[in-house]
Formats: sequence, structure tokens, C-alpha cells
Amino acid sequence: MAEMTKRDVGQFLARQGILVAFVIFIIGFTLANQRFLAVDNVLGVIRSSAILGVMALGVTFVVISGNLDLSVGSMMSFSTIVVLDLHDKIGPSLAIPAMFAMTMCLGALIGFLVGYLKLNSLIVTLGMLSAIHGLTLTYSGGKNMDIADKEGTWFSLFGQGSALGIPVPILMFALLAALLSLLLAKTAFGRKVYAVGGNGVAATFSGIRRARVVFLTYVISSFCVACAGLLQASRSMGSQNTVGQGLELEVLAAVILGGASLLGGSGTVFKTVIGVLILGFIQNGLLLVGLEFYVQYVVTWVIIILAVWLDIAANRGRLWSPIA
Amino acid sequence: MTISIKARIAVTTALVGSVAAGAAAADTMKIGITQNNVGVDSYQTTYEKAFIAAAQANPDIEAVVLDAGGDVARQIAQVEDLIQQQVDAIIIWPTNGEAVVPAVRKAHSAGIPVIVTNSNIAEQGFEFAASFSGPDNITQGARAAEIMCEKFTEMGIETEAQIVQISGQPGYTTAIERAKGFEDRLPEVCPDVTLVETQPGDWNREKSQKVMEAFLVKYDDIDGVYAGDDNMGVGALNAAKAAGRDGIIFVGATNFSVGYEAMERGEYWGSIYQSPVDDAEAALKTALDVLSGAEVPFLNYFDTPKITQENMDQFDKPVF
Repeated sequence: MAEMTKRDVGQFLARQGILVAFVIFIIGFTLANQRFLAVDNVLGVIRSSAILGVMALGVTFVVISGNLDLSVGSMMSFSTIVVLDLHDKIGPSLAIPAMFAMTMCLGALIGFLVGYLKLNSLIVTLGMLSAIHGLTLTYSGGKNMDIADKEGTWFSLFGQGSALGIPVPILMFALLAALLSLLLAKTAFGRKVYAVGGNGVAATFSGIRRARVVFLTYVISSFCVACAGLLQASRSMGSQNTVGQGLELEVLAAVILGGASLLGGSGTVFKTVIGVLILGFIQNGLLLVGLEFYVQYVVTWVIIILAVWLDIAANRGRLWSPIA
Repeated sequence: MTISIKARIAVTTALVGSVAAGAAAADTMKIGITQNNVGVDSYQTTYEKAFIAAAQANPDIEAVVLDAGGDVARQIAQVEDLIQQQVDAIIIWPTNGEAVVPAVRKAHSAGIPVIVTNSNIAEQGFEFAASFSGPDNITQGARAAEIMCEKFTEMGIETEAQIVQISGQPGYTTAIERAKGFEDRLPEVCPDVTLVETQPGDWNREKSQKVMEAFLVKYDDIDGVYAGDDNMGVGALNAAKAAGRDGIIFVGATNFSVGYEAMERGEYWGSIYQSPVDDAEAALKTALDVLSGAEVPFLNYFDTPKITQENMDQFDKPVF
């Protein structure tokens, strides 16, 4: 009987190790500063994590299909700058679809290179990281982009508005997470993404058009990036060219924290959301605790490693690997 | 083969030059510049444009304009290139104050004077540099403290005000100096104002907004925010506006157009006016002065005045 219970706990942990880690952090930070769980703080953290989160949703698809996307940071700078620039030129209602089209063209290009030409995704997207950064700088001439008339436009709705007391970025993040979760877990396409990442050769022999699936994961990723760019632009109504710089690694960290394997074939949208929230709450928690900021980088790393370790330990049911 | 042809052409040109223009040809100075990261922000973009314009306006200058793209290794290679090209002077905008010192020393031992621009190199490199031309970040920080203090005094809260600071990228000399100038000056002018916390905003508006959100949760009473530049200051302002916290005095240490606009709207109190055009022209002038043998102070600062809502009409809106 006792052993049954132990195994039950073990199995629960195996499924939800990262969730347990998350709860431990929350408790820790709350003990350090009671304001941590105040409603306005929690909403604030989720709202600022939403931008990273939306990007991570798309990258989850790419990672599950066995590829990487290191271009999302510069691509987000690109969409932010483009939408801000076009806002003043052709108005928000045209600027937004135009920005989505341009961003998704970039995603389609990457998808074509990785999917149909079978080029290594690390190399393609690492190259795109610089190339898109260059494209953004060429487009803007290196200037900060700002919306001239910040009061007289409804564009601020996405980043600053709220409905039913919940900020719009959170609603968008939740909605996208729900939709993409359904797409990944409940549709044939979703199963193909897992199949391609789990065993590409087997997937091909089962009649899955691998190139097409990979192509689509990058299109989905760029769609999410466009949403993130929209949120970012609307939140600050102006931007530097480097706004998304470095985010690709944070996004990847969130996806991996959520338990998606870098080798492909595993991961879920829900766990990515948890990964995103862990990162967001760590950043916020360390600020609230008021730790010296040079120490924060180190502490962030320690917490991430702890979380990953807890997750892996839960998966194998023990703290140490049985095989040395 | 190519090299000898090039050499011959050079000789011929030199001869023609000396015949035609006499002493004037010898006055043509080749000045190389390696910049930090053009395009990463509008300040650096405007700086480059102003530098090229100033060099072109002077017929005696032949400029070699390079950009390190924020990469230390590339900048060191660029300095070596300029030494090979036997330029008359090298202007460097250090990507990293420590790491470029060996390259500066190499130029120095090749007999080429090095002028450091915008942000200084580390102290152990001072003996190899001819001059530093740039803003005095400590003064900028100190003046920002004075602006803040004057405003608090005017409001009558100079004995109780609490402020927070959002500093630049950790480890970056400019960030450290702007913080130090502010922190040292504030207790001299307003001894009863408390700086409750400092966190970095990494020169990034979005990051600063996040930091300010946390500050607003953590502290019920914030009277002022000092930011290392207006980009970060406006990020903090956005956070305060979103949280509905009015009456906070925002002061930056470098005025950007976003800060200028926020000042026009009456939401942002003041900053320090630093023009990239002045910066670029000062660097070129310093190089020319060094080459002409004029007496140049090692720390050759250009002036960066205070700008607040009250006197902003005397200043053009910053281009960056």
C-alpha cells in the first residue's frame, strides 16, 4: 500500500516536475517579500512575460519538430520596428497586417531553407539572427522608431489595454496558448510535428511530408513573433532597433525549462507556458528581493539549473542518474 | 605586382602634389576612426554622419571610417589595419575600455597618436592615448542630481523625498560613471533625499519598464527616478503611467528625443543635453589639435548642459 502511494507521488512528479519546481520558487519568493503575490505584481509579471511567452509558444513547435530557431529575437525587433514605422505612414489597420505578412515571409524563408532544402536549422537561424538584424537597421537607418501621436491612436490597445480587468497581452498570450495547445495536442498536424521530431525517417516512411511540417512550424513561429512584435510596439509605442536582442536565448531557455527536448519529439505548450512564467517570476522576484544585480545573473542560472534538475530527477524517479 | 603599382602611384601623386600645391599636400592628414557599434542606436548613427560631414568639410582631412559592430576582436583588428595603413591619427570609440588597451599601446608604439572618443579606455591605457574627447559622465550624473534636488526644493520635499535609480548596462564605464556622479553629488546638494535602490535597465526601455514595475510594487512612496539615459527614463515613466502613479519626478542623464517629447508633455522633468554632433566634431577637432602640436588636455570634455521643462525651448529636439 505504502509503495503504491510512493509510486503515485513519483508518477505525479514525473509528469509535473517542473510545476513542482515552479511552486517551490513562488513560495520562496513570497517568503522573501509578501508583495510578490500581490495581484498587481502577478498581473504585471505575466503581462511583461507575455511577449517572451508568445514567442516561446511558436518556438515550442520548432523545437518539438527537432529544429532550433535562434532568429526570433531579431525577428521580433524587425516586426516591432516595421509596425511602428508603418503605423505613422499607412495607419494602424493596414500596418498590422502588413507587418504580419512581412514577418511571416521571413518565417517562410527559414522554413523553406530548413524544411525543403534540409539545411541545418542552427546554421540557418543563427545566420538569420544577424541578417534580420541588418535588415531592421537598414529599414530604420539605425534610428529609434516612435509613434508621433501617442494619444490619438487605438494602437496602444494591444500592449496597454485591458478587458475584464485583465491586461490584453495576458489575454492574447492565453488565447494563443490555448489555440496552439489544441493544434499540437488534438490535430493530425500536431501529431505529425511530434513524429517528425521523434523519428524523422520513420515519419517519412509513414507518409508524412516532413518538409512541409517543418516549413509550417517556422511559419507558426514567425506568426507568434509577429504577435510579440505587435505587443511590444503597442506597449512602449516606440522602440530601439535592438529591442529583441538576446531574447532568442531566453525563449529557448523557457521552452527547454518547460521540458521540451532539444533533440525533438517531446514538449507541450502548457509546459512551455510554465517555463515562461518561471523565468518571468525569477526576474521579478530577484528585483523585489533587491539582490545586488551582479549576483542576479548567477542566481538566475542556479535557479534554472535547479528547475531542470528537478524536472529530470522527477522523470527518472531519483535524484542521481543510476548510470555514472 | 599590385603593391608596387600602388606604391608607384602613391609616389607620383605625392610628387605631383608637392609640385602643384607645395606645402599644402604635406598638410593632408589621414585620420582613421573605429567606432563602437554604429546602427545599434541613433546616437551612434548620428555621430557617424556628423563625423563624416565634418571630415568632408575639411579638405585637409582624409578619413578612414570603420565600425567594430560592438565586437572587441574586430575593433582590435581594425586598429591594426589602421596602423598598417600608416594613418596620422587614430580615433577609437572603445567597445570595451579594458580590452582595447593593448591595441592602443600598439598604435602608440608605432608613433600614431590615439584619440579616445565618447567613452574612455581603462586607466592603465591612459599613458598610450594622446587625449580623450567626450562627455564627462561624472558631471552629467552630478548635474542630474542637481536638477533633481532643485526640483525637490521647489516642491518643498527636499527633506523627505525617496528616489530610485535605473542605471545603464552593468560593467559599462558610462553606466558606472553616470551612477557615481549622481550618487556622489546628491548627498552634497540634498543630504536628506534617500536613494532607496538601484537596478540596471541595460540602456533598454523595455527592461527599465520591468524594473520600474517591480519598484512600484516594492515601494509605496517614490518621489523621483534617476535614469542613466532618457530611453530608460521613459521606460520607467511608462510603468508609472500604467500603474497610475502620478507626481514622480523623472530625470535622465542624456536627453533623447523620447525624453524631450515627454518633457514637452510635462511628464518628464529634465535631463542632460548631449549632442552626438558636438561629440563627433570634438573628437575630430581634438585629433587635429593633437596633430598640429597644440596643447590639448588629456581629458578634453565638451560641455553637456542641463535641460529641464523650464529651459528646453533653448535646445533643439535631439535627433536620436
